[in-house]
Amino acid sequence: MSLSEQQPPIPDWNEVRTALADAMRERILILDGAMGTMLQRRKFTEENFRGERFKDWDLPLQGNNDLLVITEAQAVEDIHLEYYLAGADIVETNTFSATSVAQADYGCEDAVYDINFQGVAVARRAALRAEAEDGRRRFVAGALGPTNKTSSMSTDVNSPGHRSITFDELVVAYGEAIRGLVDAGADLLLFETITDTLNTKAGIFAAQRLFEERGIDVPIMISGTITDLSGRTLSGQTPSAFWYSVRHANPITIGLNCALGADLMRDHIAELSGVADTFICAYPNAGLPNEFGGYDETPEMMASQLDQFASEGLLNIVGGCCGSTPDHIRAIAETVSKYQPRVVPEIETRLRLAGLEPFTLTAEIPFVNVGERTNVTGSARFRKLITAGDYHAALEVARDQVANGAQIIDINMDEGLIDSKQVMIEYLNLLAAEPDIAKVPLMIDSSKWEVIEAGLKCVQGKALVNSISMKEGEEAFLKSARLVRAYGAAVVVMAFDEKGQADTFERKVEICTRAYKLLTEEVGFSPEDIVFDPNVFAVATGIEEHNGYGVAFIEATKQITETLPHVHISGGISNLSFSFRGNEPVREAMHAVFLYYAIQNGMDMGIVNAGQLAVYESIDPELREACEDVILNRRDDGTDRLLEIAERYRGTAGKEAAAKDMSWREKPVEDRIAHALVNGITEFIDADTEEARQKAARPLHVIEGPLMAGMGIVGDLFGSGKMFLPQVVKSARVMKQAVALLLPYMEAEKNADGNATGRKSAGKVLMATVKGDVHDIGKNIVGVVLSCNNYEIIDLGVMVPTAKILQTAKDENVDIIGLSGLITPSLDEMVHVAAEMEREGFDIPLLIGGATTSRVHTAVKIHPRYERGQAVHVNDASRAVGVVGNLLSADTKVAFIDDIKAQYAKAAAAHLRAEEDKKRLPLTTARANAFKPDWEGYEPPKPSFLGTKVFADFDLAELAGYIDWTPFFQTWELKGRYPAILQDERQGEAARALFDDAQRMLKQIIDEKWFVPRAVVGLWPANAVGDDIRLFTDEGRKEELATLFTLRQQLSKRDGKPNMALSDFVAPVDSGKADYMGAFVVTAGLEEVAIAERFEKQNDDYSSILVKALADRFAEALAEMMHARVRRELWGYAADETQTPEELAQETYRGIRPAPGYPAQPDHTEKTTLFKLLDAEKNAGVTLTESFSMWPGSSVSGFYYAHPDAYYFGVAKVERDQVLDYAARKGMPVEEVERWLGPILNYIPGPAIVAAE
Amino acid sequence: MARVEPIPVTVVTKAGQLLALDADTALLRLPANSGHGHPDGQHCVACATRTDVRAMLYDLLESAKRGLRPAFTRVVVDASAVPDPAVVVAALTGKLPAQALRDHTVARLFYLADAA
Repeated sequence: MSLSEQQPPIPDWNEVRTALADAMRERILILDGAMGTMLQRRKFTEENFRGERFKDWDLPLQGNNDLLVITEAQAVEDIHLEYYLAGADIVETNTFSATSVAQADYGCEDAVYDINFQGVAVARRAALRAEAEDGRRRFVAGALGPTNKTSSMSTDVNSPGHRSITFDELVVAYGEAIRGLVDAGADLLLFETITDTLNTKAGIFAAQRLFEERGIDVPIMISGTITDLSGRTLSGQTPSAFWYSVRHANPITIGLNCALGADLMRDHIAELSGVADTFICAYPNAGLPNEFGGYDETPEMMASQLDQFASEGLLNIVGGCCGSTPDHIRAIAETVSKYQPRVVPEIETRLRLAGLEPFTLTAEIPFVNVGERTNVTGSARFRKLITAGDYHAALEVARDQVANGAQIIDINMDEGLIDSKQVMIEYLNLLAAEPDIAKVPLMIDSSKWEVIEAGLKCVQGKALVNSISMKEGEEAFLKSARLVRAYGAAVVVMAFDEKGQADTFERKVEICTRAYKLLTEEVGFSPEDIVFDPNVFAVATGIEEHNGYGVAFIEATKQITETLPHVHISGGISNLSFSFRGNEPVREAMHAVFLYYAIQNGMDMGIVNAGQLAVYESIDPELREACEDVILNRRDDGTDRLLEIAERYRGTAGKEAAAKDMSWREKPVEDRIAHALVNGITEFIDADTEEARQKAARPLHVIEGPLMAGMGIVGDLFGSGKMFLPQVVKSARVMKQAVALLLPYMEAEKNADGNATGRKSAGKVLMATVKGDVHDIGKNIVGVVLSCNNYEIIDLGVMVPTAKILQTAKDENVDIIGLSGLITPSLDEMVHVAAEMEREGFDIPLLIGGATTSRVHTAVKIHPRYERGQAVHVNDASRAVGVVGNLLSADTKVAFIDDIKAQYAKAAAAHLRAEEDKKRLPLTTARANAFKPDWEGYEPPKPSFLGTKVFADFDLAELAGYIDWTPFFQTWELKGRYPAILQDERQGEAARALFDDAQRMLKQIIDEKWFVPRAVVGLWPANAVGDDIRLFTDEGRKEELATLFTLRQQLSKRDGKPNMALSDFVAPVDSGKADYMGAFVVTAGLEEVAIAERFEKQNDDYSSILVKALADRFAEALAEMMHARVRRELWGYAADETQTPEELAQETYRGIRPAPGYPAQPDHTEKTTLFKLLDAEKNAGVTLTESFSMWPGSSVSGFYYAHPDAYYFGVAKVERDQVLDYAARKGMPVEEVERWLGPILNYIPGPAIVAAE
Repeated sequence: MARVEPIPVTVVTKAGQLLALDADTALLRLPANSGHGHPDGQHCVACATRTDVRAMLYDLLESAKRGLRPAFTRVVVDASAVPDPAVVVAALTGKLPAQALRDHTVARLFYLADAA
């Protein structure tokens, strides 16, 4: 007969519950003793464990005691019977480890259901035999162990955020075991030896799901384990905290078992007995195992200790755990039969929460201050830490809050830029390992249900959910309320329904009353676990309807707490004073006054920054009265009067602001937003956006209305050349901040009606700097400009491999891809991306931008490789919006692309003609026409040292003096030379503002030492050999250190001009002159990257781009300064040089410092030699990417040439003969040389020999 | 918040090897066996209190905190009776899986200074 065909007796669980409860009121019931101890005595071997079913099992099974219910069923049944006959009313099934989690050790996951089912069947047979013998009813409790994994903490002390199992996985595992137990007709379920409360909460969740499904209610027993002297569970909870955390299971008993012997368990049982309004069950070990491998407690000793428990009235059920035997049970049963059972106490109805420690909202606590410092929407500092991923510091914030007395801490991760759900999980997991934080209960706060739910799955304690509401209707409300209850949390309910947020007294009361009925009557919520938030709104906004908001809250609080028993009232106080942002003294006074009245009327909880709360009595009476007028709405001119005196209380920071022209603040909110956007003012945008939001029907309307209107103005001004890039980037910063404020509301709304009410972007643009390249300023600027034109930007950052670009494009279904790159190898990488897009069947437009890209390159190299879609070269941000707009518009797309195609065809044809016209000379001819200075009459200067020297500890202020500002303005697309550009008629104003901001940041960079620049310089004996330059280890010039390879111009020259190569500037080996070469790598340092990132995370792209641009300038300045030092002292050939840094920028001095990869030597791979010579990674901390881009990006390298005639030239295109020669000299395969020189090849690479026809 | 100085722990693995104990040093003796009848080294929540060096260190801390024993600034663990002292060293160097929240606390507040 198979398992499913057996018909086990299914008990009527309600009858069982009643029968047990009745019995427990009459006498102390007896639970059995240890099964393991009894099984050990039978000395079963591997064969016994295997039995018939597992005889060919791969893994050893000895020790898997639970299997014995199948393989040695009779033995298990006999032990159960022994216990029953010794006096047990209840025995536990032998299923402690029968979950898929624990059975995984033996590979027996498939047997889990059967073990549980058979475990009950075996125990039931024993129960029936016992009943037949003495006529007394016996019960079978289905035992559920803790599993051998833990979900509330990490098993790795070095990685406290890690979890080896999740709540969801445990729900599945427990669910399976419980089904086996219930299907076999267990009378009770017993969660025992609980070491991790979160595991058990998953078990409870699984049980309740099954009960709901089947419409049954199996009585549950819960038994924890205390192993520490301090009286904590393994997961760190005190007994009371443990009880509060599992109370939602409505267990028939709560208690403790295992680890401690009876003597040590007493205090903890007494604690539970005092707080639990259910029956108590205790089954200690037979003492602690002693040093001789036995147990200290004989049956008599154990019984006499439990005698004390019973005599004190602590017990309803008693039994034994490890080490106890039927003899122990018999002795215990006999002893406790003398005593009356414990009387279940009445416990006062209070909100009881738990972290590691319990929290009860007693009458002595007039107001619970919920710590709000760990709320990204409430604390700018916390938001920064979280967005920067600095969990360590973010945990310190929580720790400080608790240390400062927060009784509950609010955790909110609703930040648009992060994965709120993931961050909530990670933060809570890390927090769980900090006993001095985790001791308090948590408020899991999010506008997104999925974030709340994820959070609830991480906390072992009883948390408070903030919040749910009826905004999405009753059904959704009931659903989340049921889940909150199933996860064992209390809940904050917002006064919000299908019609909107409650703003009047009547609506607040009506909604809360309706929610109360639903929660208590339909969901079965305990009323003390309900906290209402009747919405604190801003008063004194100047809008008349808002005047009554304060008093409506206070009156509603009174009504709600009087008519709905046991509920609590909470609210976010800071909203109240929104219109006084920036005026902290007034805000604090308003909050204090508001709380003074609200608390009197029943408010008992709130999210307040405790450090910023004035004491009601100590507020200046004039201010206090003005606040009362406003909050209690006592007079019509209250707002005006408060506004009038408010300025006097404002801090000094406010006074300065008032000195500016603030007349625009008087205008309507739409105009103020437009003004802020056009002028890039972030100061008031939060308040203005909030005001606009409250006016608008939906938060989206604020974006589509005033914000887009404002950006429209910005766009028009930019398009017509009246605004410039730096100003636009500043506008974008304002826009981002406003959108960030609206996002949570939009998300909430999206959840509300479940359909797409989200912001509709004009299109999705993926942007990336290609593999091997680290430069991203230009790309970031284009991204910012596009995003403030309502495009959604997915920025993959720098050094992005093709596969990632394409995969993301597919996953995100983007409308357009934008590639950026600064160094020449990136050109080939872009061709590669285009070819891959073609191969993978893409047809979306491909934008090409970056310093080395060109329309011709795009037309000739990229465009032909991507025929399905269209590649478009866009090299400045101002054009980007127009191009993207045209490409994504159904109306203009076709015509626009046709136009581009025609242009590219023309450009390609012109290029071809030009190339044909430009006749290249054979290499031999070019060499014959090399530059030949008079070496006879030249004495090469001798450097002051040979080898390398490292330089650090630069004075940033001195370095700043070497900055050439002209390229800085070019970065921002302001074209003109510095300083003339500052006075430029058209761009002057923008340039001046940008320059001011740059100077301000520069000062900070200098004062706060943001950058740590480093430099390494080398000087070596050198002589030219043909087009190569030999470097020698010493003046003996015998031992070669390295060879530098140079490329020669092959253009046909007129007027007798030479065909240059850099080697021409170094004395040839046969000239007999001892010449030298130098090299350098300098960097502004890696610090810039983190700083820029930090700004980005703060929605401040303007500062992010600014700091990057300045870091680039510092690197160039350092290169310039080091070059001057080399000329004047290190090499010393121009010791009398006197140019000022400004004059240096004109490059009027002797000598050059060309870099590989630039026109004089276009081969980037020469940097390998350069970096090796200088050991640049060690000496300057600069490394090369696979495309020879330098990392950190703000770095400069090059070679020093000292010859007076040395100048910067361009090699331009080279022919195949030189490439073959160069490859042979360099010992590099021809194909590889062709790959790196791709952009300057004057031929199409291919096989050298074409088969003769 | 003030950071607590981590407490150095010295593990003695050979019988008879003696270390000077002073008033600031707490001595922990680890027992020879788990005592519960199951194989030594197998984790058992009940036995941990008696055998797991981390549980015992935590209890030392708690006892001192409650004034049940003098405060200490060093700990000497006598592991000479333990069949496999490597387990003790692993427990003190964070290499043994944590079984309880206290193991995280102990990992932060103690460090293995020496094993002789």
